[in-house]
Amino acid sequence: MSDLLDLLDRIVARAQPGEAVEAYGIDETDTTVRADHGDVESLSSARTRGVGVRVIDGGRVGYAYTADLSEPALAETLDEARANARFATPDEANALPQGSGPLPDLLELWDPAFSDVAAEDKVAAAIAVEAAVRGAGPPVKGVETAVYGDQVRTAAIASTAGLRGAYRRCDAYIFVSAIAERNGSSASATGLDLGRTLGSLNIETIAAEAVERATRLLGGRKPSSAKIPVLLDPFTAASFLGVLAGALTGEAVQKGRSVFAERLGEQIAGPHLQLVDDGALVAGPAAAPWDAEGVVTGRTTLIEGGRLAGWLHNTYTAAKQGVASTGNARRAGFMSLPGVSPSNLYFVPGDDGPAELFARAGTAFYCQQVMGIHSGANAITGDFSVGASGLMIRGGEFAEPVREAVIAGTIPDMLSGLVAVGSDLRFLPASGGMGAATLLIEGMTLAGQ
Amino acid sequence: MTFALDDADVRAVLTAALGGGADFAEVFAEARRGRSLRLDDNKVEELTSGRDCGAGVRVLRGRQTGYAYTNVLTRQGLVEAAKVAAAAIRGQAHTQVADLRAATPGVVHPVRRDPLAADRPALVDLVTRANEAARGVDATVRQVTIRYSDSCQEVFIANSDGHCSTERRVRTRLVAHAVAARNGNIQTGFEGPGDCVGHELFDQHPPEQIGRLAAERAVVMLDAVPAPAGEMTVVLAAGGGGVLFHEACGHGMEADIVARDASIYAGRRGERLGTPIFTGVDDATVPGGWGSFSFDDEGTPAQRTVLFEAGVCTDYMSDRIRAAQLGIPQTGNGRRQSYAHLPIPRMTNSFILPGDADPEEIIASVDRGLYCKSLGGGQVDTTSGDFVFGITEAYLISGGEITVPVRGANLVGDGPTVLGRVDAVGGDFKTCQGICGKEGQGVPVAFGTPTLRISQITVGGTGGAGS
Repeated sequence: MSDLLDLLDRIVARAQPGEAVEAYGIDETDTTVRADHGDVESLSSARTRGVGVRVIDGGRVGYAYTADLSEPALAETLDEARANARFATPDEANALPQGSGPLPDLLELWDPAFSDVAAEDKVAAAIAVEAAVRGAGPPVKGVETAVYGDQVRTAAIASTAGLRGAYRRCDAYIFVSAIAERNGSSASATGLDLGRTLGSLNIETIAAEAVERATRLLGGRKPSSAKIPVLLDPFTAASFLGVLAGALTGEAVQKGRSVFAERLGEQIAGPHLQLVDDGALVAGPAAAPWDAEGVVTGRTTLIEGGRLAGWLHNTYTAAKQGVASTGNARRAGFMSLPGVSPSNLYFVPGDDGPAELFARAGTAFYCQQVMGIHSGANAITGDFSVGASGLMIRGGEFAEPVREAVIAGTIPDMLSGLVAVGSDLRFLPASGGMGAATLLIEGMTLAGQ
Repeated sequence: MTFALDDADVRAVLTAALGGGADFAEVFAEARRGRSLRLDDNKVEELTSGRDCGAGVRVLRGRQTGYAYTNVLTRQGLVEAAKVAAAAIRGQAHTQVADLRAATPGVVHPVRRDPLAADRPALVDLVTRANEAARGVDATVRQVTIRYSDSCQEVFIANSDGHCSTERRVRTRLVAHAVAARNGNIQTGFEGPGDCVGHELFDQHPPEQIGRLAAERAVVMLDAVPAPAGEMTVVLAAGGGGVLFHEACGHGMEADIVARDASIYAGRRGERLGTPIFTGVDDATVPGGWGSFSFDDEGTPAQRTVLFEAGVCTDYMSDRIRAAQLGIPQTGNGRRQSYAHLPIPRMTNSFILPGDADPEEIIASVDRGLYCKSLGGGQVDTTSGDFVFGITEAYLISGGEITVPVRGANLVGDGPTVLGRVDAVGGDFKTCQGICGKEGQGVPVAFGTPTLRISQITVGGTGGAGS
């Protein structure tokens, strides 16, 4: 970790008078194993390093990055960032976050057991999850993907504004996609788990999840069109939360790209509803001690008692609004400037599990998969219309499967119809970490025949 | 070439890679320079430039793959990566590296105006012109984002069969997003041409036109009524149907999906699925096409592959591994996002070929239906063939005439059924560009179609049953 930080220090030391310079670096090692028909399909391992340099001079921002960490390349990258800044439009809200001394670490993100996992065990895990799905027998026909992956990642930052720090986190996951087929009807579904190390993942549970979710969709038919309650399966709930998140950033609001832009302080959901973003939540996939520009992370309540209570900010969007950053600067890697996006975003779970929600809904559509959410849901207009498959719920139990349905409406209507959040909260990695819990929403339009 | 590796270095790397008992070893090295510039809210917000470089070493034995990559492009760095990759396969070395022969490209994509030669003020000028044109369209245009990007990717590929090739791929793109608003109604519009070319892109697509088209789409949609829901005849405008072909037919024709038995098209070659007027191809040789190249990312020459010939399911798109697995030819569709990824079968430029119908007559032939001018992204479940894609610009057709715009619609169906319902193909043709994501890898792909009529397809809208 200290090597990377030393290298960033050397870049920052070359800052010229009057200019603010920030250097951000990552060093990550990834391993991915794919299994197929009881054997390793591929084993990939690699280390990636890179540095991004942000220069702010007179309110103008420039950025440059390099994966070549030789001294000449680093010097050239700083020069490029400086030259890029010269052509940007000045904006006094552009500033680096101020720091004083070393940034904190979040030690729970690193598990020393990570280093003890042998390559053979990783291979065995991928093979085992594939075998567990295949071994379920008919109607399971095959496995589309069976993957074990892990990553250890160091992020480091140094700037002329006095920030300096590095932290390390490790992650492991297993993902499997089962294909089921019966009487000419086929369906696929995924099972997934994430944790700090291989030891915290339960292969049997992951396989069973994929098998159950694929099998229960078989024989799906187009439903009759109706206005009925919809239960969002945890995976689907996470997808919709991602769309909602796009409308809750300071950037979206300031640029007129949020359907909620004019509604701060208003009641936008039932009084039981709390929506929280927490970048310091160790259980979340997006946990970090500080964000992508070195602002210490924490908990931000976006919806409090159903009332729209605030937005997510990075340093720039916060300055625009005259508030403090919420620690939500994020970057895709070393190649981009920090933008604003959620960290671990979730509805605070209710007391009832899925079974209670099913019973409460009576007759409803259980939406297990949505298709086309990226094109079919729009955080700017709030409209969405997505393809859906799942099952009907009758008398509180799963009934006939449904496919080629469409659920449509608006994000604000969906929020105000959200009557219950399940107690089954987990997190899925999306753009950040999205809370996945069963959600019960009333009065949605299900279109079919 | 940017890579300071001679023949002896490459042989040393490949030999180390074969040390674990692999049948085949390959080095894929790349150096990429790119710039991007974003104008948003009338401000030049982001001017970014950068360089990425690295090499991946792949070894194969049967259906097993070992892969490792590194940013350190020296003989020592690559040999180390080769040893890591080799360790994925445990056995005795038995393959020799053949003599390396430089392959001659069958098709090249010359660049007339190198984007890297354009200075920063020239780039600022491009996005400024697009922004001003977009904002000039109408007073309802509230927000405009323009994004310019270019990249120059130098690729070097060598393998133990003796293949050795180099290629320089240059891509330029300018994307405009516009938001129009009136009385609380907000609509968006998009236009984003790009090609495997330099700044000659702007001769065909002036920045003003790109900005104006995006803004006009947003403004026209302000008058849109909620789309009807239900089954109806749909006419896809030229270019507008590309996503349908890509999602509904293309992905299921990728050989990895077929090999995994996760495709509705698996085992159906030779079967007539589409109407006799439907022919679809994937063609990486299109001069300067957004998805074009000289060699794919495993060194196989670019080619044109017929996927559906007069409605008959013809050839799958393959890479080295899946071609061997399925016993089919390599079609040059092995692509990767970068050196950090394994190649997998991907589309390049996928086209539905024009027919002979007059586009105006196709519209006039529809009494009640939908005219889709532009589609957003889509998604497909390759196993069942089910797909959904969003419509970004569409109009009702009434009595053979295009009438009011509609919003909030999407098309829902399954690939084979839709192929069998394409009952008119226009003589026109238009191409659109995008980035296709699969297994976490994004690659540039183009879609091209003539005007198409689909006799019946489900439209998912919010306006209730259309009547």
